[in-house]
Amino acid sequence: MVDAARHPKIDVRTYTDVERVEGYVGNFKVQLREKARYVRADRCNGCGECARVCPIEVPNPFEMNLAPRKAAYVAMSQSVPLLYTIDQEACIHCYKCVEACGALEAIDFSQEDKVEWEDVGSIVVATGFSHFDPSVMPEYGYGRFPNVITAMEMERLNNSAGPTTGDLMRPSDGVNPKRVAIINCVGSRDKRFNPWCSNFCCMYAIKNAVLLKQMYPDIELTIYYMDIRTPSKGYEEFYDRAREMGIRFIQGRPSLITEDEETRNLFVHSEDVALGKVVEHEYDMVMLNQAAVPQPDVDMVSSVLNITQSPGGWFMEYHPKLRPVDSPTDGIFLAGACQGQKDIPASVSSGLASASRAGRILHSDEWEIEPIIAQVWEDRCISAQGKQCGICAKACPYGAITVETGKAAEVVTAKCHGCGGCVAECPHNAITQMHYTDAQMLAQIRALLADKPEEKIFAFRCHWCSYGGADLAGTSHFDYSANERGMRVMCSARMDSDFIYEAFRLGAGAVLYSGCHPQDCHYITGQRVGATRADRLMKTFEKMGMSPGRFRIEWISAAEGDKYARVINEMQKVITDLGKEKLHQEIESMKPEMEKRARRMYDVPQVNEASDYSDLLTMAMTVTEVPDGK
Amino acid sequence: MESERPLSFADQVRAIPGGENLDMCYSCGTCVSKCLIQQKLDPEYNPRRLLRMVMMDMREEAFKSPTTWLCSACDLCYPACPQKIHISAVIGAVKQLAEEAGYISPLETVVVDESLCAGCGICVMTCPYDAPHLIEKEVNGVVDRFSEVDAEKCMGCGMCVAACPLGAIARPSVANADIVSQINLRAKKGSPSLVVFICDWCLRVEDDVKILESYPENVRVIHIPCSGRIDPQMALMALRSGIDGVLVCGCAAGECHFKRGNYVSECKLGLLDGMMDQMNLNEGRVRFVRLGTQDRGRIRHEIDGMLAHLQPEVA
Repeated sequence: MVDAARHPKIDVRTYTDVERVEGYVGNFKVQLREKARYVRADRCNGCGECARVCPIEVPNPFEMNLAPRKAAYVAMSQSVPLLYTIDQEACIHCYKCVEACGALEAIDFSQEDKVEWEDVGSIVVATGFSHFDPSVMPEYGYGRFPNVITAMEMERLNNSAGPTTGDLMRPSDGVNPKRVAIINCVGSRDKRFNPWCSNFCCMYAIKNAVLLKQMYPDIELTIYYMDIRTPSKGYEEFYDRAREMGIRFIQGRPSLITEDEETRNLFVHSEDVALGKVVEHEYDMVMLNQAAVPQPDVDMVSSVLNITQSPGGWFMEYHPKLRPVDSPTDGIFLAGACQGQKDIPASVSSGLASASRAGRILHSDEWEIEPIIAQVWEDRCISAQGKQCGICAKACPYGAITVETGKAAEVVTAKCHGCGGCVAECPHNAITQMHYTDAQMLAQIRALLADKPEEKIFAFRCHWCSYGGADLAGTSHFDYSANERGMRVMCSARMDSDFIYEAFRLGAGAVLYSGCHPQDCHYITGQRVGATRADRLMKTFEKMGMSPGRFRIEWISAAEGDKYARVINEMQKVITDLGKEKLHQEIESMKPEMEKRARRMYDVPQVNEASDYSDLLTMAMTVTEVPDGK
Repeated sequence: MESERPLSFADQVRAIPGGENLDMCYSCGTCVSKCLIQQKLDPEYNPRRLLRMVMMDMREEAFKSPTTWLCSACDLCYPACPQKIHISAVIGAVKQLAEEAGYISPLETVVVDESLCAGCGICVMTCPYDAPHLIEKEVNGVVDRFSEVDAEKCMGCGMCVAACPLGAIARPSVANADIVSQINLRAKKGSPSLVVFICDWCLRVEDDVKILESYPENVRVIHIPCSGRIDPQMALMALRSGIDGVLVCGCAAGECHFKRGNYVSECKLGLLDGMMDQMNLNEGRVRFVRLGTQDRGRIRHEIDGMLAHLQPEVA
């Protein structure tokens, strides 16, 4: 950290919030608010005279509130840069610090927050994680029983720089405990609070136990666990070492802690699973190994940076296996436990990885993006004609579209990822997506439904999930109806309602609208744009009197080949059960309405020529008849 | 596609409402240690193992297991389960299958004396398990209503026994006469006498049970299956026989082993205490206390507090 502060090209800004982020990869503009410290950074030399004379003491959060700090303070003694701060909420304005600072004149009570904009090329988010508060679990009595402490409190209590200078004391009477229990999975692997495994607590419990055993060889240590998870290199060996040292492991999740009101000793009630018996053991102190949870302000950070969260609140990576440190927004990277529960080696690796990913951008003059971006036909955009619209901007998950009434909507190409949501949403068909134009899509639909459309199940599949699901169904040899005809688009957001009208107009027996599960969407909120539209369509078709099951919405992940096969088979059953005659009748009666609804699409440039393409495509697909034998 | 595999035991349990979360159990043992049955009734009692038996298709073993029959569905374990499994519902599903297979509950149940029963239906309203119901039967040429107890549902708490105005229902091993006969004690002059009715389930730890044994003879401790088993008449009998106070200990709110016995008892005794001045007695002679799972050692304070409260009565 000191090296980083001294580096000529590194500018360390502490006590500073990122308030706004604008721009795009390589060209971000970041608004920073440096909060007022009431101490001038250019003059303070970190001598600490101000803290020494300060008469106010408040609990010190760095010491888990086990020790006090002054109103003039540094967060911790190793802070970089070593600058004191005056806590205005606690300060009584006695100005003793000003006196103590003397000729340095570093203390300045007139200081105000400083807001400035900074240009940056890439952003690394390393906001870390927080801890579950076990006081919401009354069964463990944290907050009521003084000798029930959390892992972080233990960390301070046995730290030589901590409030007890490393002497492990019971909070109730200051005596060294002789029997200590460590309870794992407090708030994690618990559906009532956090379903995830916090990943590092098993090792953390063993580490603390080994450390205590080394410091106090006579201490009795018991670790209560559900499963001990030691998946990385050297971890299992460390677990073995702890067992060799005589640390007792009890498999069984304690259901209750009770306290003897006189001795303040604790009784842990659990089942010993190996014995199948309920056991109650007495301890002097109990340490709760709390779950790792996202920082309390993740929602704010994710909205400022426009990055998404996985279920539970961790920041979402672009791809869990192949791009684990990239955020869905180009140029923003994730390091460490803000992305998910990580131990130190994993955090360091992800930090190094995101630094190198960020460096790639800083060293490039040009940045290659996917060619499938959206483009606006300025003459068709009604915003250019002075009418208020902006539907496309609302559909964009990346904030890549700016709409100003009087001017045509503008797509920032570097921000566009090519989901096609805006293209499908635009009511005037004024946006097109390169390589996925309306004309190209219609040509495919017409080709696929050229022959006996009433027997066909037309499936719109998104590139990232349901297409993969269909693929898996095939490679896994799951049987499904051969009448299925699938078309790939990048995202369910691109599945224009006109496409579905067109498919039904052409006489499709059934239409499947499929994409990712909401939390898996590759384009942040693309699925939501698609889902809203699909629900609207479903209602329309219900009103039109369409037989239930002919239009179906299903969210299918790339791992759900079985589901894809099942859905197609169920749709096949709907068509079969309906019977040819009734189906034909229904298709014919709805044709005019479908045509009316899809009419706007027909005047999109190139769409009329689409029939030519579709003829060619049909020809290519029916290999039996090749004109002129070519 | 319909599966052609025959239904396994686990499938059958899953098909019964409440049984569907069976497979989520990862055997952490929280339910076992939250429950008091293993400590108080049967060391073989273990819900975790019962769930495992179901998953492993051990049908007969599951049906014979005491866990199937002893669970009173108090649901102390349900809010503690980290996998949110409604354990008592799973056990209920196993019990239902066991009954269908012809197994009979080994529990002692209450029995109705038809010569006394008037068919008023109070027991039907009181029972937390819907065990009693009214039937019509011809006796000596006259059709009359009687209460009948479904032996498979009765858990033996005795709330109906306490509620029956005619004393027509009884659980033989915990007869009214047995309880009343224990209300006899003689206090030394100058020290108050106290009868403590204590429910079998409100004291979690051995240390607390030992505390009860430490009191001199002016405190008589009477164990009952549930605080709901207490008939206010018993308290009145105690007061009439010259005893200064009656303390009834039940479980904390939401922790009653028989779902709502503590609530019923607290209501009844609260009413009775409100009527004390009609009998020219001071209020506070009858008291109900709730002892929660974490109230280790509180029983001593409650008894000592009651004795201190009664001291002016003897002085």
